[in-house]
Amino acid sequence: MPVVIPPADPAGLPAPAWLLQILLVFTFILHIVAMNLLAGGTTIMAIAHWKGKSNPFFAALGARLCKALPVTMSLTITLGIAPLLFVQVLYGQAFYTASILMAWPWLLVVALVLLAYYGLYLVQFRPDWLGRWVTPIAWVSAIFILVVGLLYTHNATLNLAPEKWAQMYAQSAAGLHLNWSEPTLIPRYLHFMVAAFAVTGLGIMLLSLLYRSSDSSWADEAKRFGARLFIGATIVQLAVGLWFLFSLPNSFMQSFIGGNTVHTIILWAGVLLAVLAMLVVNRSALGAVALTILAIALMSVTRHSLRGMYLSPHLDVNAIPVNPQWVVFVIFVVLLVAGLGVVGWMVWQFVRGGQAEAQSTS
Amino acid sequence: MEYPFWDVPLLGGGMLIGIIAILHVFVSHFAIGAGLFLVLTEIKARRENDTALLGYLKRHSTFFILVVLVFGAVSGVGIWWAIGLVHPSATSALIHIFVWAWAIEWVFFLVELLAAFIYYYGWNRLSARTHIAVGWVYFAGAWLSLFMINGILTFMLTTGRWTETRSLADAFFNPSMLPSLLVRTAVTIALAGLYALITASAEADESLRERVVKYASKWVLAGISVIPFGGIWYISRIPDQAREISMGGAPVVTLFAAASVVFSAFVLLATLLGPFLFPRRFHVTFAFVIVALGLVTTGVTEWVREAVRKPYILYDYMYSNAVRTEEVQLVYEQGVLGTAKWDLLHEVDRADLLKVGEQVFRFHCQSCHTVNGFNGIKFAVKGWEKDFLDIQLQNLNQLKGYMPPFLGNEEERKALVEWLYSLNNPPQQTARR
Ligand code: HEM
Repeated sequence: MPVVIPPADPAGLPAPAWLLQILLVFTFILHIVAMNLLAGGTTIMAIAHWKGKSNPFFAALGARLCKALPVTMSLTITLGIAPLLFVQVLYGQAFYTASILMAWPWLLVVALVLLAYYGLYLVQFRPDWLGRWVTPIAWVSAIFILVVGLLYTHNATLNLAPEKWAQMYAQSAAGLHLNWSEPTLIPRYLHFMVAAFAVTGLGIMLLSLLYRSSDSSWADEAKRFGARLFIGATIVQLAVGLWFLFSLPNSFMQSFIGGNTVHTIILWAGVLLAVLAMLVVNRSALGAVALTILAIALMSVTRHSLRGMYLSPHLDVNAIPVNPQWVVFVIFVVLLVAGLGVVGWMVWQFVRGGQAEAQSTS
Repeated sequence: MEYPFWDVPLLGGGMLIGIIAILHVFVSHFAIGAGLFLVLTEIKARRENDTALLGYLKRHSTFFILVVLVFGAVSGVGIWWAIGLVHPSATSALIHIFVWAWAIEWVFFLVELLAAFIYYYGWNRLSARTHIAVGWVYFAGAWLSLFMINGILTFMLTTGRWTETRSLADAFFNPSMLPSLLVRTAVTIALAGLYALITASAEADESLRERVVKYASKWVLAGISVIPFGGIWYISRIPDQAREISMGGAPVVTLFAAASVVFSAFVLLATLLGPFLFPRRFHVTFAFVIVALGLVTTGVTEWVREAVRKPYILYDYMYSNAVRTEEVQLVYEQGVLGTAKWDLLHEVDRADLLKVGEQVFRFHCQSCHTVNGFNGIKFAVKGWEKDFLDIQLQNLNQLKGYMPPFLGNEEERKALVEWLYSLNNPPQQTARR
């Protein structure tokens, strides 16, 4: 079978490829942090509802997580739209092709997200009406979200495998393929999902801060639970990460263990930061959060370098002609800053209002 | 041409997009108008110290976030998914021409979304003034998202001067952009009222119900009465051929265009004769009937909007089957299969006319036709003899103005004729006879 690659879009790029790549990786980091809180949070919420029948700590954890999850879902989706834009701008040739090959499962993502989202609201708004169905519904949402993640990894890895496309398409044009034959599929997926639990651990620690004064014994326990979850998941992550590394094609793996200095430093600096975060988490939750976000950022850069390695024989974003549109780009940046300012103002008002409310009721 | 073609049986990809898009349009326009509805009504309620009305607004806003933030947002992503799968080349073109316009739209959307959450969770937390301000932020963000997306969508039908200048400004501020913005804004107002009729009619307090029903019906009437003016302005701005298609050129499209007008009139009449004149007797069932009429109106109108763009997917730039106008000559010379990158037919099958014909159909026709489902080709060519099929193919764009020219070479045309003929006259059967 030949390797068939669609040509780049004749419109070219509206800014140099490096700028678009920075935007892609940056917005991807935002998306993936939100996704981590969503996937881990929903699963822990389901577990907490189940355990909460006999354990008041978990009952409260379930209820409190549940309030935060719809917003998290919304942020995951919205922060996913930006990388979705940039990935199509830069790698549309791979993205559309891989997505078409797995069209139905890919479309299923949308349906699953919709149902999982309504599930979260049902659990939050109508627990009495649901009765004993609360826990099952929470599980359905959690499982749907975990499946969405898996479909994402199918898509992401299929994006990186142009040599498979023609064979698959010749077999069937019905859009029912998946990428099960990919050796990195499972470790890559687990790498994201184990991270989800670690980040959720930190999220629960932050959540506990909100209840420091109103429910201090719960807050203490939540803090300890979050730290344990973070440390446990991160230890597992070290193993999963190594598995992922060793499942990569040999030449790629080599470049991460000394073959390429920059790639090696970025990857292992990320690992180091995660280990440091484990060490400080019991002393400073915020310190661990900062270290972990940095670690995720470095890992996302590594993920991006890996994409370059897979695709470089087939397509090169630096060869796409650039027709810069700086004026509109500046408008975008100005609006983004203004928009974030407005968002900051609203969130500040909201937090202030919450404090005022707490004071007036106490 | 450049991307693999996804074969959606029976329904066809276009229909798949249509289903998602119509539901999304119906909800997303509500999302915008509801922003205005919530703030203005909140201002009114607070000014008149009307706690009952405020109570209704809180309940309405729950309904609002469940419909808008969940279904609206996710179905919007769904359209993007679907068009990328069904029309990858055109989606790629829209993405690449409008990168920063999309990015700006995303900023507005982000602001809109967070404002919605804070508005909703802030009923008791924020001061009245701040709460109203957040409501305005929501509406501004939502309407500005519409402003952005409207510029991109109208470009598809009225590419205007962009085809020569290739400038983003020309693409965005295209001929039908403003009239379409007016129509869509009017639709948002009407839909805000329409959805409010549902929640209002479910209110328990009778006098409140009557008041809000009447009030909401005025929003519907106000929105609808602007639509005809915007509509006429819009129609005056679209390409001549598109206008002809909707006014007699293609009977089905004309029928749907008429249906769009008729159903809008039904919504108007039903609102006038129901909630507006008799708010006291208004029942939730009737609310759903009006909403259903509204959905049908949206459906047929969107369908017409899509249909009149034929034979293009991006006017004067790309045909529905992903052939760019500037590539017509090339395809003509190299053939459909010579230029279709994903024609992976095995060498031994190249001698089989039926297999070649099927491939030609897939890459040149199937973006609009299914084989035996929606717009199915099997029924369209029933009873046609080979000679007739051949003549039709040679003059496709002249005989049917809404179809692109057939660009295959002679061999491909013969193969397609054989394959089309075989659909209604299976080869074994003919051989046996
Ligand atoms: C429940 C919802 C979601 C989950 C669990 C999820 C999970 C993930 C995961 C695990 C990846 C990484 C895949 C890999 O590299 O192997 C990913 C990537 C991505 N996600 Fe999400 N996602 C969700 C929703 C969304 C939505 C709704 C969008 C778009 C609107 C989106 C946009 C993206 C994009 C564009 C990437 C890839 C970026 C790139 O290739 O650089 N995600 N997501």
